[in-house]
Amino acid sequence: MLKFLGRRLAASILIMAIASTVVFFSIHILPGDPVLILLGEQGASNPEVVARIRGQLHLDVSLPQQFWLWLKGLAVGDLGKSLENDLPVAEVISRRIPRSLEIIIAGLVLAATLGIPLGTIAARRRRRFHGTLASALAVVGFSSPVFVTGILLVIFFSLWLGLLPSSGYIAFSEDPLQHLLFLCMPALAIGINFMGVVTRVSRASLTDILRRDFIRAARAKGLSASHTVYRHALPNALIPVITVIGVRSGNLLGGTVIIESLFDWPGLSSLLVHACFARDYPVIQGTLLAIFAMFILISLLIDLCLGLIDPRMRVQS
Amino acid sequence: MSGKKIARLKHFLRGHFSLYLAVIVLAFVAGAAIFAGMIAPFDPLEIDPGNILSSPSASHWLGTDEIGRDLLSRIIYGARVSLSVALAAVCLACVFGIPIGVFAAFAGQRLENAIMRIIDVFVSLPEIFVAIFVLAFFGNSLPTLIFTIGLLYFPQFAKVAHSMARSIKAREYVLAAVSLGAGPTRIIWREILPNMWSVIIVQISFTFSFAMLLEAGLSFLGLGVMPPMPSWGQMVGRLKDYLFNNPWPVVFPSIVLFITILAINLLGDWLQDRLNPELEE
Repeated sequence: MLKFLGRRLAASILIMAIASTVVFFSIHILPGDPVLILLGEQGASNPEVVARIRGQLHLDVSLPQQFWLWLKGLAVGDLGKSLENDLPVAEVISRRIPRSLEIIIAGLVLAATLGIPLGTIAARRRRRFHGTLASALAVVGFSSPVFVTGILLVIFFSLWLGLLPSSGYIAFSEDPLQHLLFLCMPALAIGINFMGVVTRVSRASLTDILRRDFIRAARAKGLSASHTVYRHALPNALIPVITVIGVRSGNLLGGTVIIESLFDWPGLSSLLVHACFARDYPVIQGTLLAIFAMFILISLLIDLCLGLIDPRMRVQS
Repeated sequence: MSGKKIARLKHFLRGHFSLYLAVIVLAFVAGAAIFAGMIAPFDPLEIDPGNILSSPSASHWLGTDEIGRDLLSRIIYGARVSLSVALAAVCLACVFGIPIGVFAAFAGQRLENAIMRIIDVFVSLPEIFVAIFVLAFFGNSLPTLIFTIGLLYFPQFAKVAHSMARSIKAREYVLAAVSLGAGPTRIIWREILPNMWSVIIVQISFTFSFAMLLEAGLSFLGLGVMPPMPSWGQMVGRLKDYLFNNPWPVVFPSIVLFITILAINLLGDWLQDRLNPELEE
């Protein structure tokens, strides 16, 4: 187990190192001078401003020196300052990471609690009404773009019923109840979309397991159908489900971009979109790095879970 | 129609009901995209300032948008944009992905491993972030958008093509061809490619829906298809701001987008069951 953990950790660190290098060079692969693009023709006519921005971005020293400064900054958690409002990027990002994680985790929990039972129904009652309905729900959830789900939720819960606030954010420490009310729709929108994926995978995997010999053996020795499914089949069927959740965690992260923008949720992705429009390079670089780190961390956690559940994983690859 | 015929039709439809619905929807959407100029009741760019954000009416069947353009016409022209972006991106992904995958299968152990490792890294990247990054830095023109989406999905084709090529390569009829003296070029053209089209077709149908979703998401954020050219995602993104003035205009493009993607996925599922029943997810 320790060896497996070490290997996975080393791979993650390697990917992170590659990601940070790519993010660093991103500003240099731009066609044209980033400072001139940032300031526009009018702003660029003032050499003082140009020099100041150049200094802020460390563009006034040689490339190896820039890379060194970037690495040195990374080592002490310094990602530079925002060009827009001079706030330290690392601080802004660390405040926003938990907010994005919150939506992802809430959505994931929803997707699993809805998707796994639906998948089980779909696999057990394959050609009957309930099973077909469960499969249909999965395709619908899977096919609905997150922003369409989100908008329909807003129309239903905010406009018609007036139950939930349509968008915004209140810190949990300020007002826990309000915070949860604001969280409802973003989490639902992401959860419904991901539920489709979870349902489809758990259906396919459970269908496969239910055909195996050990299930027939369990039934033959007199175990009830539900005992066989819940005790023998489902635990085995969940392994691919966890793998797919890991592989698709990128989708979850990607979903937050649209959801945070739709619901004005001040997370990491909305910061990225905003910074892209404002061409705030330090913020773009910092946010991308944080998102890659989150993505790598999630994959690592999923792999560790799999290693714990399924001993075969520790030996392979 | 005789009773027997109706019974047979009913039986047939019961098994494939969702498939027929999907094909009809897709035929409609594709028709709208191709014949947009003939069927759209208005110019999609024509502004009617006295008539903004209106609900469905006799003259504007689906109402109007935030500056008074006819929504039905914009949805029809939007079909053209959304479908052609996805189609072009999928073609690009095929053209890059399949040769790379097949090449890797014949390249010898070392090179094969190296190529597939790189492909694995590409597959695991969260697409939308890469797309946002590229579009924000290189500017968002239509060719950049298509190129970005195509490049984001080519690794999936490379992966599928690689694993298919490897498994076909080990089959007996390929061994037979090799023992008869066929070279790699002949093997690839005459044995490998003709035998993997079923898997590729399924991959195309799923990638098509992913590409449409990605385009819609990017356009929703204001980074994809640029106004005044309409795309469904972009229309939803703009009209959502007026949801509390009138929810109707935002509902229509949302529903059209949803139904189209649903239809593509249903078709993809059917193709998967039909062509490769042994492979499930």
